Amino acid sequence: MLVKKRMTHDPVVVSPRHSLADALRLTRERRIRHLPVVDEGVLVGMVSDRDVRTALPSPITEPDAERVAFLERTPVSAIMRADVDSIGPLDTVEDAAKLMRRRRISALPVVDAHGAVLGILSESDVLDAFVEILGPANASSRLEIGMADRAGELARAMRVIGEERGVNICSLMVPPGTAGERRVAIVHVSTIDPRETIAALEAAGFEVGWPSLESDLRQEGAA
Amino acid sequence: MSRVASALVWDPAVTGYKFRPDHPFNPRRLELAVSLIEALGLVDDDRARVVAPRPATEAELLAVHSREYLEAVKRFSGGADLSGAHRWGLGTDDTPIFAGMHEITSLVSGATIRAAELVMRGEVTRAFSICGGLHHAHRDRASGFCVYSDLAAAIAWIRREHGGKVMYIDYDAHHGDGVQGIFYDDPDVLTLSLHESGRYLFPGTGFVDELGEGDGYGYSLNVPLEAFTEDDSWLDIHRKLIPEVMEAYRPDVVVLQSGCDGHALDPLTHLRASTRLYEETTRIVCEAADRVCGGRVVATGGGGYAVWEVVPRAWTLVWGALSGQEVPNHIPHAWLDRWQGEAPVMLPRFVRDAEEDHKPVPRRAEIEATNRRTLDSLRRQALPLIRGWGLGF
Repeated sequence: MLVKKRMTHDPVVVSPRHSLADALRLTRERRIRHLPVVDEGVLVGMVSDRDVRTALPSPITEPDAERVAFLERTPVSAIMRADVDSIGPLDTVEDAAKLMRRRRISALPVVDAHGAVLGILSESDVLDAFVEILGPANASSRLEIGMADRAGELARAMRVIGEERGVNICSLMVPPGTAGERRVAIVHVSTIDPRETIAALEAAGFEVGWPSLESDLRQEGAA
Repeated sequence: MSRVASALVWDPAVTGYKFRPDHPFNPRRLELAVSLIEALGLVDDDRARVVAPRPATEAELLAVHSREYLEAVKRFSGGADLSGAHRWGLGTDDTPIFAGMHEITSLVSGATIRAAELVMRGEVTRAFSICGGLHHAHRDRASGFCVYSDLAAAIAWIRREHGGKVMYIDYDAHHGDGVQGIFYDDPDVLTLSLHESGRYLFPGTGFVDELGEGDGYGYSLNVPLEAFTEDDSWLDIHRKLIPEVMEAYRPDVVVLQSGCDGHALDPLTHLRASTRLYEETTRIVCEAADRVCGGRVVATGGGGYAVWEVVPRAWTLVWGALSGQEVPNHIPHAWLDRWQGEAPVMLPRFVRDAEEDHKPVPRRAEIEATNRRTLDSLRRQALPLIRGWGLGF
């Protein structure tokens, strides 16, 4: 999955000469947390609503009028984080997620080869992408199919569903397991009544969980 | 319990809504249910009468389905070549095509519209379109045994003929995705679906964060229940949520989809309700409707795949609660004699499940705690929106 498919396009940006008051107003009005800072069409930094609040003098020591004046007179360039990480539109969401974890940042600007800002990818965008991958694409029932970790087993199970039963598979996920051990494929099949599909898979030697293979999630599971 | 003017919308012709001899959506269940209601003396010519359906008109169907979809169903129904049927969700294992499909589905939709007519014109306070409840049908796609949305067509009919607000309640074990989708941006139709979580079960939707969109934001409500939820936890949610939402929204009429596939014996779901859930929930809905909207409830059937053991009993209890009649517990011998020969299982002797027949679920405490969290999360998000404390209005 590519960053350009998941990012927010044409995000709200500020210039380094904008005041902090402008920046704070933008984050409030547009309900966003991160603003790329752009000068002459090129990304020069990032600023978040939290950066602004951190820079603001304390309400204990300064009167409100002074705090407002501070916001009005201080330019974004004074507090922005310059030299920030960025990512390209054709990079993968997985790479972006790893970068965000490693650098502990919650939004990445997406830039083209010349440094122009094309979009912004936030933690929420990454989470949405993973939720979508994990969830069903269409109306479907979810099965867990236990199988040996051997060439041909996954294909055999899919043939039972798709060819023998003629049921459409609308998503398939096989989380990694330890080599040589049993793998569990999570399959969404587009039917309200998976009973015959389950029977056919079991007849072919697969273990099938509906709702789950996890003993904790089955009725007979331990209390 | 006092009797309420009620109508059971029924004609044996609706059993023509039949896909294949071995298909799980088996219309025999309707005959079983209606004959049990009759055998128990729960219909008469006065306060609890049987009324025949009429077919829905094309205009009534086009209020909720696209012209292209309707034309496609008519073509396939008339025997046209099946190529391209999948695009419309038809010709699948779940929703195969059969001759006359358009006409019979129009009759099923008309049955629910007829029920709405009877209630909205004040001829009865409650009506039960037992063949209706096709809640998976979408604007331009069939899904999960459902071709046309009788529910959405009846709601649209109410809106057009009478205006006002409609609260749709759906306790079928599957999410009522079709009805939710058709009214997703409409604040005048509030949909509330309580169902087994889409994490495992078809159609895979119906989570708390599906709250509607645009003007309809806050008017789609979903309670995804944990697999193996039993009566007490489920009823607790019905008791808390249904009156609260109804009193906040103040609808003019309630449309109730009473699918009974959340019963422990149902082969298509993992919920563990007993017949008590169906009787008590219908009462909860009717009592709240009595306080808020003159008692007006338009009920339908829905899912229910334990055809012999559960559906006739569950829907007899639903009818009893709707019409305000106490349902005797003994199933008449005449009814058992009539059907036992054909039944592949031993038919139950009592209308209500006995408590000792229920095998307790070992994870009960955990399931109940998760369901409570789900309910709290929904109430926190949705109630302020319905009450208008939300985004500044």
